[in-house]
Amino acid sequence: MAANDKATKTETAKEEQASPILIQMGIFAAILFVSSLISPLFPATFPVPTPVIGLVILYILLASHIVKLRNVEKFGDFMISLIAFLFVPSGIQLAASLDILKAQGVQLVVVILIATIVLLVVVAYTTAGFIWLRKNVFHRDVNVEE
Amino acid sequence: MMTLTATAHMAVWGKWLGDALGTNAAGASAGNALFGIFLSLVVYLFGQWLFKIGKGFFLFQPLFVGMVLGIFILFLFAKAFGTDTATFYKSAYLPGGNIIFWFLNPATIAFAIPLYRRNDVVKKFWLEIVLSLIVGLVISLFVIYYVSKLIGLDNVGIASMMPQAATTAIAMPIAGAIGGNTAVTAMACILNAVIIYALGDWLVKFFHVNSDPIGAGLGLGTAGHTVGSAKALQLGSIQGSMASIAVVVISIVVDIVVPPFASMMGLI
Repeated sequence: MAANDKATKTETAKEEQASPILIQMGIFAAILFVSSLISPLFPATFPVPTPVIGLVILYILLASHIVKLRNVEKFGDFMISLIAFLFVPSGIQLAASLDILKAQGVQLVVVILIATIVLLVVVAYTTAGFIWLRKNVFHRDVNVEE
Repeated sequence: MMTLTATAHMAVWGKWLGDALGTNAAGASAGNALFGIFLSLVVYLFGQWLFKIGKGFFLFQPLFVGMVLGIFILFLFAKAFGTDTATFYKSAYLPGGNIIFWFLNPATIAFAIPLYRRNDVVKKFWLEIVLSLIVGLVISLFVIYYVSKLIGLDNVGIASMMPQAATTAIAMPIAGAIGGNTAVTAMACILNAVIIYALGDWLVKFFHVNSDPIGAGLGLGTAGHTVGSAKALQLGSIQGSMASIAVVVISIVVDIVVPPFASMMGLI
């Protein structure tokens, strides 16, 4: 169903140039709508939120060439360029939990700071390790174009 | 006489402002969304300006400045209205804040685009990507668990720290399920993003994270969520693509790995 919707939208913009911005927004809205229908199907113990499903759906649509890059990239790149601003309300949301911060805020902030660095460094070096294994143990190609 | 008129003026202006912000009893339900949108824009733009004249000093990152300044302004307003910050935040800021917050939905979906642009890397390294995220998360969980213990968090605090690698909407219910405080977990997810946004460039340099572009991308996406992905895109297309895939895959991995880890460590 959703795929058909998207296919018709792709056909309406057959030219090589970018689709009109309203069409691009329409594609995003359609994907969000379908994702919001799928998200409640997951059990409460295994939550998968709407935007995560939406990311997967858009990736599948792009990879299967149902949606072309020119149908979505103008609006998508614009949204990505806004991401830091879109996080401002999340940051200000901390105003609602100032009492938690008062109670054990310093400890929590220290743990969160360390956890952030740990996640970044451990994941990065674990990956480097697996790439090294691929190259030196399994002798498979590790070259990528920049 | 003069003092009386001054007080009367104050009362009139106070009522007008209160109505406009939706903090008075009468206007509480209306809740003008424009204040939240306007405040968010002003503090963020001020942050951008400060970042520019501060020659890119890391504590002047617009998101960080916007967050601190925004909370401070809400705190001052709450004082002026004689209410507490949390109440004022909910009645005056939240309606507008929620409108901006909603746009994180399409913005998150949009990360499928940089992901797809480097589909060659995804196809070639999918096994390494998935394995690295699983193994990397398990190692990180052990480190975070013992660091939390060392710093003296109680079991509720530790449980709240466990799911923070996932996106907020996944991390919060998981934290609740393993006996954590969902508000603390939400705070962790937000601070992850703010920390990566403010310190990301410096951390990448200091820990030589970028020596492996795939690892740099996965690390930034895991630690900084979608904000990490935006940071990763600045390093290069491979990093951006890998961070986008990390945001999705790590969330699912947290879904699967954190509850059994928590019961193994005796948190539940």
